[in-house]
Amino acid sequence: MFTTRRGLLVGAAVITAAGCTRETAHIITSDADLTAALRTARTLAAAADALGFGELAEDHLTHAATLERLLRPNVVADETGELPADAAALAAAESAGSEEAGDACLTTESDYAVLLGEIAACRAAHAAVLA
Amino acid sequence: MTVVDTGLAAEYAAIYAYSAATVHLDGDPRWIAEELEAEHRSRRDAILDYYAEQGLQPAPPLAGYDIDPIADAAAAQDLLLAVEASVTTTWRAGVVTTEPHERELCLRMYGESAVALARWRLAVGVSAADPWPGRPE
Repeated sequence: MFTTRRGLLVGAAVITAAGCTRETAHIITSDADLTAALRTARTLAAAADALGFGELAEDHLTHAATLERLLRPNVVADETGELPADAAALAAAESAGSEEAGDACLTTESDYAVLLGEIAACRAAHAAVLA
Repeated sequence: MTVVDTGLAAEYAAIYAYSAATVHLDGDPRWIAEELEAEHRSRRDAILDYYAEQGLQPAPPLAGYDIDPIADAAAAQDLLLAVEASVTTTWRAGVVTTEPHERELCLRMYGESAVALARWRLAVGVSAADPWPGRPE
């Protein structure tokens, strides 16, 4: 069938383009650690903004934007629960969020350990500043 | 050289820098610098404990580190800001290790150094906000 080298290459390209190879289809699943980090980032951003800590809110929005981009094509519904009522409660939420991201950093098998560590460190710094 | 070796070297250098810079400071920056220097010494001790637990031999500190002459309080503040940023960057880089004990130590040190960096920024009138502490620009 493919009597020349060029014919062989063209044939291979046609077969690949037609989807007739043994490539395994992968189902794209959402990363649970990134999803949890995104939900927490959105909650902390809303809380910091509501309490007048605009620069801290910006940090969380930056995290959220990065996490949303990494999770595509999955979309995580924007569900913000009850927000911390004051600076002390926000500091506690920042600290809990830091622990969540830190635990994920230590256990993740993905390539996002440093990213999760960065988010944990940022939240820890926020908690210290608010305390 | 492991990521912990690199982090220990950064902590040694930070202690040296604080020893040289803190005497030029007054008021709030002075006592915050003294607190942060004590934290660096505690972190160094914790790292040395890690070496002992792992049966490893840590490198000693150098006799001196290359820092510019400190003329006044402003220069001291700038030096310590650069030191805290550098230490944070070093520990952040260590988190990439796949060795579990090393990653755990580096993450703890990274979190503590990010807190120290934020505290020093506030002390010298710089915003503490930073979404990616220690990330190289």
